[in-house]
Amino acid sequence: MTTQRGLGALLPILALWRGYAGWLLAGLLASLLTVAAGLALATAAGGMALRPVTGIEAVGLAALLFLPGVVRGLGAARVVFRYGERMLTHAATFRVLAGLRVWLFRGLARQSSGGLGFMRSGDALGRVVGDVEALDGLYLRIIVPGVAAVLLLPVLVGTLAPGHAGAALLVGGLFLLSAVVLPWVAARLTLDAGGRLAETSAGLRSAALDAIDGIREVRAYGAEGRMLAAVQAREAALFQAQRQVSRRASWAQAAAFACGQAALLVVLLSPGVAPGAMVAGLFLTLAAFEVVGGMPRAGALAGYAAAAASRITAAATGASAGDPSDPAPLPSGTSLRFEGIGFRWRPDRPAVMDGLTLDVPAGSRVAILGPSGSGKSTLAALALKVAAPQAGRVLLGGVDVARLRAEDVRSRIAWLSQDTHLFSDTVRANLRLARDNATDAELWAALDRAGIADTVRGFPDGLESWIGEGGLQVSGGQGRRLALARALLSQAPILILDEPATGLDFATERAFLLTLNDVAAGRTVILIVHRLIGVERLDRIFRLSAGHAVAAAA
Amino acid sequence: MTSLPKPGRAWMARNMAAGQRAVRPVAMLGVLGTLAAIGQAWCLARLLTDAITTVPSQPGASEVLWALLFAGLTVLRAVLLVVSDGVSFTAGVAARRRLRSDLFIRVFGAGPGFLRGARSGELAALAVDRIESLEGLFARWLPASVLAVASPLLVVLAVLLVDPGGALIVGAAGLLVPVGMALAGLGAAAASQRQFVAMGRLQARFLDRVRGIATIVLAGRAEQEAQRLQTAADDLGRRTLRVLRVAFLSSAALDCAAAAALVVLAGRYAAAWRNGASPVAAIFVLVLVAEFFAPLRAFAAAYQDRLQAAGAAEQLASLPDLPESAGAPPIRTVTATGVTVAFHDVRFTWDPSRGAVLDGLSFRAPAGETTVLVGPSGAGKSTVIELLLGFVRPDSGRITLNGADIGTIVPSALARMTTWIGQRPVLFAGSIRDNICFGREDATDQEVEEAARAAGIASFAAALPEGLDTPIGEGGYGLSGGQAQRVAIARAFVRNAPLLLLDEPTAHLDPATEADVFDSLRRLALGRTVILASHSAAAHAFGGRTLELSEGRTRPVQGVA
Repeated sequence: MTTQRGLGALLPILALWRGYAGWLLAGLLASLLTVAAGLALATAAGGMALRPVTGIEAVGLAALLFLPGVVRGLGAARVVFRYGERMLTHAATFRVLAGLRVWLFRGLARQSSGGLGFMRSGDALGRVVGDVEALDGLYLRIIVPGVAAVLLLPVLVGTLAPGHAGAALLVGGLFLLSAVVLPWVAARLTLDAGGRLAETSAGLRSAALDAIDGIREVRAYGAEGRMLAAVQAREAALFQAQRQVSRRASWAQAAAFACGQAALLVVLLSPGVAPGAMVAGLFLTLAAFEVVGGMPRAGALAGYAAAAASRITAAATGASAGDPSDPAPLPSGTSLRFEGIGFRWRPDRPAVMDGLTLDVPAGSRVAILGPSGSGKSTLAALALKVAAPQAGRVLLGGVDVARLRAEDVRSRIAWLSQDTHLFSDTVRANLRLARDNATDAELWAALDRAGIADTVRGFPDGLESWIGEGGLQVSGGQGRRLALARALLSQAPILILDEPATGLDFATERAFLLTLNDVAAGRTVILIVHRLIGVERLDRIFRLSAGHAVAAAA
Repeated sequence: MTSLPKPGRAWMARNMAAGQRAVRPVAMLGVLGTLAAIGQAWCLARLLTDAITTVPSQPGASEVLWALLFAGLTVLRAVLLVVSDGVSFTAGVAARRRLRSDLFIRVFGAGPGFLRGARSGELAALAVDRIESLEGLFARWLPASVLAVASPLLVVLAVLLVDPGGALIVGAAGLLVPVGMALAGLGAAAASQRQFVAMGRLQARFLDRVRGIATIVLAGRAEQEAQRLQTAADDLGRRTLRVLRVAFLSSAALDCAAAAALVVLAGRYAAAWRNGASPVAAIFVLVLVAEFFAPLRAFAAAYQDRLQAAGAAEQLASLPDLPESAGAPPIRTVTATGVTVAFHDVRFTWDPSRGAVLDGLSFRAPAGETTVLVGPSGAGKSTVIELLLGFVRPDSGRITLNGADIGTIVPSALARMTTWIGQRPVLFAGSIRDNICFGREDATDQEVEEAARAAGIASFAAALPEGLDTPIGEGGYGLSGGQAQRVAIARAFVRNAPLLLLDEPTAHLDPATEADVFDSLRRLALGRTVILASHSAAAHAFGGRTLELSEGRTRPVQGVA
């Protein structure tokens, strides 16, 4: 990745901000007024204090600056402007980030229809969410001071030039160095290091997950010390990458500081400047360099922000499977037929299905068995139009699903898997995801059939109980039953259960499968599992092997 | 801080005290920097005085001297800046490393039981991201909180030497800061803390919706959920601004004090000169006003870091206690050849509402023999294994290995004696070889290859791109359930422990693979004491004595030779 393209990654994000231009410009204006008031105040205070010595004679408007009343006014104005700046810039940042989150959500949702939920884990997506937070300094700490710096340069040089042109140019050069060049270098360095930071932090994350997921192995093998050492080795690599970035940013910061101090010396030592101009120039220089003092750090921040922005844009704007331009009406039949399906997830991956044909008549109960990796879950993805087969077709009620709208297809199929997500929200909101207008009576009926109604009645707030983070912790079995209640509520005639009991202990698994036998009367049930435990009630059993489906005993 | 629950606050207090010692060098460097700044202000005052009071000419010798001193102090401050950044960073690193290692020691100590309620992804996020987010607390907030007092104090002292009246003005302005903050924002801190929590919740909600996005999309609710997120954000945005309106008044108090100090001082010096005072003191004090307020501004800016730490503190404070180091009871190890296991009237309850899982279980598993535990789900088969692994302790009764109570055996010695294979082995990121060596670190290449052969890995490893050195685990080659279980068996081979615990080792395999895995397990079982918990029919073919568990007791069936 080149630097240009790297920082250029911020552009699509900035383009999204057009809708908030009013807020952003208002914040910027308030910020510029604050800077102007601050500069005027410093210059005026210095000028007023030293006026008796310098013997400046009041000429025109400049004289006004040194009146005590004006100085007081500037002081007050600076405080007021600063307050306004804080309010406006924070309001703008908040709105912009909220908008960015919603935009990212819509983008991810659009792609979800293209197989994302099946290809990438929720935790991987969660990391993109963290990247949004990395952008919260983009406006406040990079753009606003950056614009101020650009506008300050002519003011600074223009004020100094009448006294000593050479000194003015020199100070201007130093100002450019600390406000533009050093931040740019810092941005470039962090961009380069960004890859290593992302890599080492992913390394630490995977070591931490290994240690936590493998806690039984770790304890049983007495490997606590070894595991901790492995985590710490990854941690040390991350710290080293961070230290490198931090040290470079420090040096840029120190160099910018030295530039400011050198500029003061230039002003002080420039010969032949009138005392009044000298005092004004000195205090102006002091204040101007203070404004841009944080720019190198802002530059380093821009490097991170650009890396985060490119990940966000990539995540939100990937390809998505579109609906047909002239969709066929949803057929009334609910039989499902896979016909000569050939499928691979990616061209460089082996084929998951190779001429698979499978019939699921309406209202039947079918089990699809096979070892992991045999393409069982792919069947669900194909039926739900999350993936499209490269050969053959999937027929719903006799119509090729490629000719139907994805939303219509999904209204006919409810899906439940170990990945079905329960949201941190109320029980009611979790259930209503399946049917927005469901009455309480319908909710209780679904909970009843899923065998979880008594548990929910025992919750302190019933349907209003908050589950998940910051609420009630439901057990694995309870969670799966809530998800089942949601699936039952959906009224979809086809129920796809993809390893619905994985991760549950045997007693719970058995009870859950027994519940399934009774609840889905009249619906088509497709049970996708690696093995049967013997309590399932089924009409047909298929075994997947080598990309084909083979009928087994019923 | 009122809204931070107690454990979080106690955690904060404890860790801040530890952190404060670590940042002492940073504070010293900061003080040194302030002294250099005072020196610079003096140089500047002398230079400017010379420039405006003497006839314009070439710079004199004294001016060159002051300029050189100024330049020298500039270099010193620049270097101090870099060094103190480095030291702060190191303090942050030390704190994060300590917290992370503490977290893992607590989690390992608490064992798998702790993970029953918690999602491993969330715990990993705490171990990685939340602890990373504490960097600001240790590297910025702590030094800033020390320097916010020390540096302004030094500046006032310096001003006092040249202009006592000026010192009074600067000092008074400094005192205005906390007073103004208190007047403007009584409760503003608490309000902004609440607000910060609310923002955190919004972020958590967004994260939750993104994690479950497939569920939302398949339910056809994506657009609706997007609008809800927007509404929630707008609501919070409006409320946030109401809080900030007050909270920023306290920042305005700081600005007000700084502006007031500058204005009053300028007026004071303008008047003083009419009486013929030297401008040196005036310039010196005016330049130092900025130095006086800079650490206070840094302190206010770092408050964000403090707020951010609160959430992580709460989570870290709720981690399990540190494992008690092996102490009072007589600690022993047991001879490692031939282990006889015995349960004497053991009772155990996971959840009081569901009653006892083991209710007076007694049995004896002789050395070198295989004991198969069968029985319906929930009969306590896995509990027996968990007890033998030392993950949980019996409520009453005794478990002995070669006559020694399991509670008196040091955990590391217990781990050396036992090997365990569960339903679904966890394979770590690394090669197949690394994963086999997890069983015993110092296993030789020959031992690893023998184990791989005995476990039936060799047959499929040959087809892999790099054989045994093929990377597996996250980001590596995906092994099937049966292949993964074989790696676990090879691990157990190199481990070569006398007691082998098998907890439903084939529960997740299809029947054909199950038979193969049992073949390998039979080879592994030779000459060891084996306890196999299984409800699979294939387990009966494993051989050995069968013990049927029922209602928490044994019902001996028949001894299969």
